[in-house]
Amino acid sequence: MTDMTKTRTVGQEDVLRATNGDRGAPLLEVRDLRVHFETGGGIVKAVDGVSWQVREGETLAIVGESGSGKSVSAMTILGLVPSPPAVFPTGQVLLRGKSLLEMSEKQQRKLRGNEIAMIFQDPLTALNPVFKVGDQIAEMVRSHQSVGRAAANKKAVDLLGEVGIPNPRARALQYPHEYSGGMRQRAMIAMALANDPQVLLADEPTTALDVTVQAQIMQLLVDLQESRNTAIVLITHDLGLVASHADRIAVMYAGRIVETGTTTQIFSSPRHAYTYGLLSSLARMDHARPERLEPIQGQPPSLSNVPSGCAFHPRCAFVTEECRTDVPQLIPLTVGSDHQHACVHPDRVAEAHATPRPPALKAVTPAHVDVPPVVEVARLVKHFPIKSGVFIRRTVGAVQAVDGIDLDIEPGTTLSLVGESGCGKSTAARAILRLHEPTSGTVRLGEHDVTALKPAELRKAREDMQIVFQDPYASLNPRMTIRQILSEKYELLGGGKLTDTTISDLLDTVGLSAEYADRYPHEFSGGQRQRVGIARAIALNPKFVVLDEPVSALDVSIQAQILNLLEKLQADFGLTYLFIAHDLSVVRHISDRVAVMYLGRIVELADRDDLFERPQHPYTQALISAVPIPDPEVERVRERIVLTGDVPNPANPPSGCRFRTRCWKHLELSEPDKRRCIDIEPTLDVTRESRRHTVACHFAGERQVLRG
Amino acid sequence: MGKFILRRAAQALLVIIGATLLVFLANFAFGDPFGSTGDRQVPPAIAAANRAAFGLDQPLPLQYLTYMGNLFTGDLGVDYNQNRPVIELLIETVPNTARLALVAIVIDIFIGVTAGIIAAVKRYSFADVLVTVVSTLAIGIPTFVIGFVLVATLSGVGPFPTVPRSFTVEVPWYTEVLLPAFALAIVDAAFVARLMRGSMLEVLRSDYIRTARAKGLSERKVIGKHALRNSMIPVITYIGVSLGGLLGGAIITEGIFQYPGVGYLLFRAIGGNNAPVITAVVIFSVLAIVVLSLIVDILYAYLDPRIRLS
Amino acid sequence: MVGPTRSPASPPTAAVPAKSRRPTGQFRDVWRRYRRNKLALIGLGIVGLLVFLAIFEPFLTPYSPFEQNLLNTTAPPGNGHVFGTDVLGRDMLSAVIYGAKLAVIVGVVTVLASLLVGVTLGAIAGFAGGATDAVIARVTDTFLAFPLLIGAILIVRTFGAGILPVIVALAIFGWTTAARLMRGQTLALRENEYVEAARSIGATNSRILTRHILPNAIAPVLVYSFTSIGVVVVAMASLSYLGVGVPADIPEWGRMISQANAFLRVPGKSHLWVFPSLAIVLTTLGFAFVADGLRDALDPKLRGRD
Repeated sequence: MTDMTKTRTVGQEDVLRATNGDRGAPLLEVRDLRVHFETGGGIVKAVDGVSWQVREGETLAIVGESGSGKSVSAMTILGLVPSPPAVFPTGQVLLRGKSLLEMSEKQQRKLRGNEIAMIFQDPLTALNPVFKVGDQIAEMVRSHQSVGRAAANKKAVDLLGEVGIPNPRARALQYPHEYSGGMRQRAMIAMALANDPQVLLADEPTTALDVTVQAQIMQLLVDLQESRNTAIVLITHDLGLVASHADRIAVMYAGRIVETGTTTQIFSSPRHAYTYGLLSSLARMDHARPERLEPIQGQPPSLSNVPSGCAFHPRCAFVTEECRTDVPQLIPLTVGSDHQHACVHPDRVAEAHATPRPPALKAVTPAHVDVPPVVEVARLVKHFPIKSGVFIRRTVGAVQAVDGIDLDIEPGTTLSLVGESGCGKSTAARAILRLHEPTSGTVRLGEHDVTALKPAELRKAREDMQIVFQDPYASLNPRMTIRQILSEKYELLGGGKLTDTTISDLLDTVGLSAEYADRYPHEFSGGQRQRVGIARAIALNPKFVVLDEPVSALDVSIQAQILNLLEKLQADFGLTYLFIAHDLSVVRHISDRVAVMYLGRIVELADRDDLFERPQHPYTQALISAVPIPDPEVERVRERIVLTGDVPNPANPPSGCRFRTRCWKHLELSEPDKRRCIDIEPTLDVTRESRRHTVACHFAGERQVLRG
Repeated sequence: MGKFILRRAAQALLVIIGATLLVFLANFAFGDPFGSTGDRQVPPAIAAANRAAFGLDQPLPLQYLTYMGNLFTGDLGVDYNQNRPVIELLIETVPNTARLALVAIVIDIFIGVTAGIIAAVKRYSFADVLVTVVSTLAIGIPTFVIGFVLVATLSGVGPFPTVPRSFTVEVPWYTEVLLPAFALAIVDAAFVARLMRGSMLEVLRSDYIRTARAKGLSERKVIGKHALRNSMIPVITYIGVSLGGLLGGAIITEGIFQYPGVGYLLFRAIGGNNAPVITAVVIFSVLAIVVLSLIVDILYAYLDPRIRLS
Repeated sequence: MVGPTRSPASPPTAAVPAKSRRPTGQFRDVWRRYRRNKLALIGLGIVGLLVFLAIFEPFLTPYSPFEQNLLNTTAPPGNGHVFGTDVLGRDMLSAVIYGAKLAVIVGVVTVLASLLVGVTLGAIAGFAGGATDAVIARVTDTFLAFPLLIGAILIVRTFGAGILPVIVALAIFGWTTAARLMRGQTLALRENEYVEAARSIGATNSRILTRHILPNAIAPVLVYSFTSIGVVVVAMASLSYLGVGVPADIPEWGRMISQANAFLRVPGKSHLWVFPSLAIVLTTLGFAFVADGLRDALDPKLRGRD
């Protein structure tokens, strides 16, 4: 690229805008791209005939589950896919009509980071740990512009300021690990923007971040896009994010685009069975009466063994004979339409989409009857000591992971504990089960005081309190068969209840075939492993089960399978759940009551609908508003509260109200009121509306954040 | 970082105390160096006088304290054969060993690091296969076999001095140091090459290398700047520990080449059952290793800011 | 609802191949990957040969390895002595075979002893943490501060020459690496969710350590132990070479080499050191190849791949 095209004048921009309006020439275009990898196990067709384009100032979202090939196609554009092992049988990548793949390595390098820049999923690993952040940005500047070191450093500081990093001059001299997750991603964005690229490839840019930080980062991208007219290719699995931020969408499955169109077209009238499946397996936070989730069965195929015909047919609800034989091509919905789909049965998909789904099992919370709770948690505290000293390690402080929480969980119900990472929700769950020894407080389970049990009694009591873990890959011992894993519980707690059919019955209950019993965990997919984890937890019919983010490591379509299973088990066996989660959409779907945690404390606790429809605490409101809803119509009118800054260090929480340093309401208060937040710690009090709704805020009050 | 170094130094001190105690106890268990053994008959009166002269008639804890006190003043006892202070023998030999160790390490780094980087960057190429095969074979060959082969083939050839050595003939230091240094470096270089290759491959897979490429940096910069510093971290640890071992005296290699260093001193002391020299050299070796690993830790913290600043 | 109704918990089957297969043992999986590595197979052959020589030594040696013939010393190969005779007129082939037996016994026993100590201490340190860990770490550092040979010399000198003192000496300074590896593994695995899962179903600490941590932690220690057999064999030879190892009359590879020292530059006498040297080289290579192959075969990152 010459400097001519880089320096855009106002006049040119206007012309470009105008051509944009009537869908002028695309800025970046991918035509029939195929990326195959030759491996010992055969050819992996990661990308198999993909075409898309993006125009200036436009955001194209490429949506797909893990292994759909969405990231590989982006990496190919930058020339970052090593060949061998990759081969590119067909395909062109055109930047303003110039073919990238035919360029020499040197020419390609000139484009990378200059015309096309990329930001990655995990900002911690994407920045080099041994160089200062400022230097890494300055390096980006100097590799494409002939400027001196001092000028590049100054530019780096300016960029850091532009992406909203406070005190950029000092921050530029720090190393990546001294940044918080959100700041690292800001630094990555600053780096990507250093040379004013025309195209920004954003590969899952917020997946590793908390939802309030995600809102910050997406807002930043939107602002930068507006001021620079950058084209953004947003690669993600998150349909909510897409609904609020994309202009157009391409849905990928098994290396191919199966449907593409404007955001409204895809969400309001999907025509491919997979798109429809994704949408109907999503839990929605804004539905007063949650619909039953319709999961896509099975799991995505291995790219080395893609099914014949339509790759989706083994999982498709509408499959017919022709789906199995012919690979459907992308065709316009109507002549000339840019809504294209590759489905044999668009009409049946449309019909299914128009039909209302039945309500979820938990669509309406049953009227509350006063029964004694199964679990009572009182003043629970878990502090992790911080030790220091050269010779003798003294305790000099404590990370206040959980700092006095009270919870009652009623029999047969689900209480969700929600909050961002580091708020202490998982620690709380483990302290309740005494997997971590609580610092103080009591936990009553039925007639036991769990915190007072002796080690042998505690082991016995575990029969009644169980846990399902987040990571199905880490929670099963890789050297034990499924049968051994499940039998172990009966050996330890079952007292001779293990019979010949126990394990197969148990597997059947969680939807696994009994013939899998003698296999090892690595032979299963994530969703199947999670079923095994659930089987282990529900064996011997516990009174109480902690579900620690049980679906957050799974693909969207698998999440719905597991959520439905959990709901069914609760209905069948009357289980009581403590559901730990950060995903509020899932929480709305599955909970009866919801507790919101911030920095080790519960800030609001209410029945589900009360909490979502009438949130009282400014943090709850910010949290709910930050969650994107997978519906562009709703997203268009919603108001988003973007919190500033990061979660404070739990070893040294703010005085008074712990949330006040990031609170949007605090900023609006008068000085004497502000002092109140700083000096007096708010207690969890019942609200005027309901005695089952408690909130810890001096200035609690409703704000509509769900629908706009 | 100051705290980190202080902690490590305190730990090193503990290790030195533990190690010297171990040496001391082993010496004690070995028994009376002045008594009659086998064909050597010593009159009891003379043995007792010797024991008193060397302080061996004191109670055990006192002996250790005396021993440690002497250690700190540089008094390592007197050698049994020539009646020279052991410290003198060390002062004579340590510089030679240091020279040998440094030359060996330089060869080692030069061959090992280069080969490792080439193998990793050009993965699956002929060079990679060559490095992998040669390094795997070289690791299997014991240093003294390499020493034997070198002595049998190259000693006395060209500038290299003949073995057995004649100590009446002075030779320039670089001629006597080269062969033993090479013998020591071959196996070590193979280790370094393997380590470097593995570490570099690991780093090349990391996200920040992808970022560096996405920035449009040249491959030379990606490897030479972004990958090298990160991948050197484990290699430096190994080289440091290895240097510590060499400084403590490469007893076999120095013995084979009759190289006048600490190792050869120990070699001869074992043959002559010269306890004070053996003890002194063992303690010197331990010190060398402990000090070098302390230096490695500090270097490590310098290379990796995540450690430096935590 | 137009689409066919699906039961929410219908078992997904796509990931598991349709053809029913018998449950594969982990052993078979490891062997399948091991055998793809040619060097590893060669290594296995060498190790197998050594073990064979060690077991059947009395039947394989053409002469008694101890029988001296001072009338026929340092004879070159030939004349009924395939490897020639040594400085005392013993048959070199018999001596080398006897040396193999010695190497296998000392190597295996030493490594087993080091493993017993190292794995136990490492696992306890990693699992218990805190003060226990700190104490064990300092003890480990102390032993680690001795170069293997120099430490061993100290011990062998104390207990006198012999096979048992050599084993004891090499084990005393050889357990540290196993301990460090085991500690690191235990520390990492202790935080694993399946350990928490075991605790959540009422498993005791000792059960967690033996059933859940040990089997998963042992792989790298096992790989290391194969390499270290080679290291032990070389160390034993080095000790003998220095004259502080096994007694002088026992045919041991290092001792044979040291006896050849005077003949190093004598033409026609190279068989005195070449054969025992070759034996040592082959032994270390054999065990190193097996270790390399095992490391790749046991690598969890490669598991399940074909």
